[in-house]
Amino acid sequence: MSQNRILAMMLSVLAGLVLVVGGLSAVLLLSGGDDTAGGGDGTGTSTSIGGNPAEAASGRLRLGGSDPVTLDPHVAGDAGSAEYIVEIFSGLVTLTPDLEIVPDLAESFDVSPDGLTYTFTLRENAKFHTGRQVKAEDVKWSIERAASRQLSSPTAIAYLGDIVGVREHFFGLAEGGIPGVEVVDERTVRITIDAPKPYFLAKLTYPTAFVVDRQQVESNPRNWTRRPNGTGPFTLAEWRLGERIVLQANRDYVLGAPKLSEVVYLLSGGSLLTRFENGELDVAPVSIADIERARDPNSNLGPFYQTSQEFSISYIAFNTNVPPFDDVHVRRAMGLAIDRKRIAEVTFSNMLAPATGILMPGMPGYLDDDLTLPFDPEAAKAELALSKYADAMPPIVITEVGAGAEARTDTQAFLEQWRTILGINVEVRQTDFATFLADQDAGRLQAFNAGWIMDYPDPEDILDLKFHSGSSLNDVAYANPEVDNLLDRARVEGDPAARLGLYQQAERLIVSEAAWLPLYFSLGHTVVQKEVIGWFDPPMVVPRLRFIEVSR
Amino acid sequence: MGAYIVRRLAWLPLILFVVSFATFTLARYGPGDPISVAAGQIRDPEVLERVRAERGLDRPIPQQYVTWVTKAIQGDFGESYLQQGFSVSELIFPRMWISAQLGFVALIIVFAVGIPLGLLAARLAGTWMDPMIIGTLLFLQAIPVLVVIPPLTWLFAVELGWLPVGGWDGIFHVWWIGGVIAIPVPDPHLYIPLVAFTLPGFVGVARLVRVSALEVNLSDYVRTARAKGLSETAVQFRHVLPNSLLPLITVVGFALAGIIEGALFVETLLGINGIGRFTFEAVTSRDYDIILATTVIFATVFVLTNLLAEICYGFVDPRVRIGASRG
Repeated sequence: MSQNRILAMMLSVLAGLVLVVGGLSAVLLLSGGDDTAGGGDGTGTSTSIGGNPAEAASGRLRLGGSDPVTLDPHVAGDAGSAEYIVEIFSGLVTLTPDLEIVPDLAESFDVSPDGLTYTFTLRENAKFHTGRQVKAEDVKWSIERAASRQLSSPTAIAYLGDIVGVREHFFGLAEGGIPGVEVVDERTVRITIDAPKPYFLAKLTYPTAFVVDRQQVESNPRNWTRRPNGTGPFTLAEWRLGERIVLQANRDYVLGAPKLSEVVYLLSGGSLLTRFENGELDVAPVSIADIERARDPNSNLGPFYQTSQEFSISYIAFNTNVPPFDDVHVRRAMGLAIDRKRIAEVTFSNMLAPATGILMPGMPGYLDDDLTLPFDPEAAKAELALSKYADAMPPIVITEVGAGAEARTDTQAFLEQWRTILGINVEVRQTDFATFLADQDAGRLQAFNAGWIMDYPDPEDILDLKFHSGSSLNDVAYANPEVDNLLDRARVEGDPAARLGLYQQAERLIVSEAAWLPLYFSLGHTVVQKEVIGWFDPPMVVPRLRFIEVSR
Repeated sequence: MGAYIVRRLAWLPLILFVVSFATFTLARYGPGDPISVAAGQIRDPEVLERVRAERGLDRPIPQQYVTWVTKAIQGDFGESYLQQGFSVSELIFPRMWISAQLGFVALIIVFAVGIPLGLLAARLAGTWMDPMIIGTLLFLQAIPVLVVIPPLTWLFAVELGWLPVGGWDGIFHVWWIGGVIAIPVPDPHLYIPLVAFTLPGFVGVARLVRVSALEVNLSDYVRTARAKGLSETAVQFRHVLPNSLLPLITVVGFALAGIIEGALFVETLLGINGIGRFTFEAVTSRDYDIILATTVIFATVFVLTNLLAEICYGFVDPRVRIGASRG
C-alpha cells in the first residue's frame, strides 16, 4: 500500500515538473523584452551590504553591478566586464567622456604620412599600480599575449587584426613575435598596420589593446585577475563573488587622480531602485515598471531622474539569401507597414527612441534627418504589389530570444500590422540565447530580432562589419556592390569629413534597401542621489569614475 | 548491514558515470556553445573555431568526456566560461551553501506542517469534511511552484509592501535589544521562497500520513489498544503516530529531489543567488563544466539521501532486514 503511495508521489512530482516546464515560458516572458539579448538578468534581490549610512566615508560611491565575466582585458568581449576593466586598466590611448581619442599611457603619437605607422611615446610617469614604470616592452608583450594562440581570445582579431603579423600570430602560422609591434627604445613603441585605416586608433581604446603586467600574469596565469596589477585610475581592492567589488583610487594615475576615494559595487542583483530609495545606493537604473514615476517631477524619484543616449540599436534583420527577403520590395513593404513610433510609445513608454537610421545620435556621421521608411500603409501595399512574391508569399518565420509561449510585445504589434496591412502572416519562433547565436551565425535564420552595441565610436564598427559583403559578421547576406565600394573607400579615406560622407551614403542605401529594419535606439534611464556630483551615463563604455565626486 | 551499505555505495560511481555521460553528451549535442555566448557580438567564425580548438571543444565527444573524467577524478571540474578565473568549486560552494540553508529549512517545514495536517485529516476521515480536505490538498499539490510565486510576490511585496521582492540575506536576522540581547528572527526574504518551496511538499506528506494513519487505525494492535481502554489521545500518539510515520522515511529522498527541482525555479524567479539559479543560467548559456558539476552534485546528494533513508528504515522497522535476503 505505502509503495503505491510513494509511486503516486513520484508521479505527482513528475506531473509537477511537466507543468513547471510548460509554465516556465510564460513567466520568463515577463522578464523578456530585452532586445540586445543579454540573457537572463536577476529578477529581484535585495540585501543590505554596506547599508549603514554611518559607514559611508566621504568620496565613496555606491553602485549596483554584477560579477564581470572576466577582468582579463585581453579576453573580455562584453560591456559588463569592460565597465570594470576600463577603470582598472588602461592602454596607449583612451576615450574621453565626449568620445574623443586622447593619449593615455602614451603622451603623444605620430602617424606616418602613408597612414600605416603609428609611433607612440610613453609617458615617463606611466606606472602600474605597484609603481613599476610602463615601458615599450610591456606594450609589446601585452599585444603579443592578447593575440596569442594560447590565449585564443575571441576579441583579438577584431581589435588587433589590422596590425601586421597579428593574424599569423593568432592562427599559429608564424613563429616569433608580431613584426607590426616594435620596441624602438624604452619609451617608444611603433605599430604598423596593413592599410591606412583611420579607425585603427579607436580600436586601441578597447580593452584588448590594454597593458597588463607580465610578471604578474606569468607568475599566476590562472588567477591573476583576482587582484590585477593594472595601470588605470582605480585599483581592485576587493572582489567577493556575488557580493561586492570595491575599487580604490589610484592616486598616481597618469591622467590625474580620481576625485573619489572608493567605489563599491553591490553585486547581489535584484531591485536596485528599492535600495536607491532606501538610501543604500547612489545610482540606480530605472526599469519600465517605474519609468512613469521617475519622469514625474513631483514623485519621490522625479528630482533624481536622468536620461541619456546610448550607442545601441535594435532591429529586425532579413536574410537576403532566403525567399521572400531576396526581394527588396518585400523587405521595404514590411518596413513601411510598421508604426514604430506608436509602438515605442505604447509598448515601451518611450523608454526607447524610434531609430532614425543605423547610426545613433552622437555617433560620428549621424544624420539629423530620418532615413528610415515611414509608416505608410498605402505605400506598403504598393511596394508589395511590385514584388515577385506578391501572389505567392512563402511562409515567414521571425526568430527572437525567448522561452516560447508569447512573442515580445512589439513583435506582436508588428505581426498584427503585417497581417492587416499587407495580408502577410508571420510566425514567431523563440529560442534560448545559445541556440539563437548558433543559428544566427550559421545564417539559418530567415528573419530575426537582434541588437548591436557600438564597440568604438566609428561608423566602421557597424556599417562595415554588418553590411560589407565580405564581412563574416554580415549575417543577413546583404551584398550591394555600390555599398561595398563606398565602405571600401571609407576604410582608407584620410580626410575625416569625406570619410563620414561615404559612410552616410552607404547608410542611406542600406536603410532604403531594408536589409535591416532599424527599430529603436536605446536610452539610459537612471536616478542619481543629489550628493553625487558630475554623474553621467556615456553612450558607450568609457572610463568615467575618476570624473565623479560624492559630497558626503 | 555494513556490507549492504558498501554494496550500495559501490554503485555510486556507476550511477555518476551514467548521469555525467548523459549530461555531457546532451549538453554537447545541444545547439550553440559557450564560446559563442562568451564571445560577445563580434563573432568571426574562423576565430571562434580557433578558440574552440584551443579549449579542446573540436575533439570527438567521447574523447572530450574522457578528458573531463580524468580531470574530475583528480578534483578539477574545469572552469566556467562565463565566470572566468575561478574554479568550478569556488563558484558552486558559496551558492550551494545558500541553497542548502534554504532547502534544510524547507525540509523541516515540510514535515513539521505535513505530519500534524495528515493526522488531522485522518481523524476527520469519513466525516463531511473529508472530501473537502482531500480536494483542497489535491488542489494545493497540483499548483506548480512557478504559479505560486507571482501572486505571493504581488500581494505581499508589491501591494502590501510587507516583504522584499526577492533576494537573500541569510536565514536569521538579528534584532538587538539595547545592544545587549540578540534575538534571532527569520529573515523577511525567507517567507515567499519557503511557501513556494514547501507547498507541494507538505501537502504530499499530509496526504501520505493521512492514508498511512487510516491504515494503521484499522490494524489489530490499534483495536487491541482501544479495547484495553486506552484514551483516544494515547492511542493516537503512542500507537498510530509512530507507525504511520514509517513510510515517510522513504519519502525524504523524494522530497529532497523536489526541493532541488524547486530551487531551479524559486531561485531564478526570486533572484536568490543559489545553486538552482546558477544551474539554470548555466543551462541557458551552455556553460558545460558548470552544468556537469551541478548535475553530478545533485545526483550524488539524491543517491546518498535515499541510501540514508533505507538505512533508517531498517533501524525503525525491525521487519525490514536490509541486505539479509538480497543477492
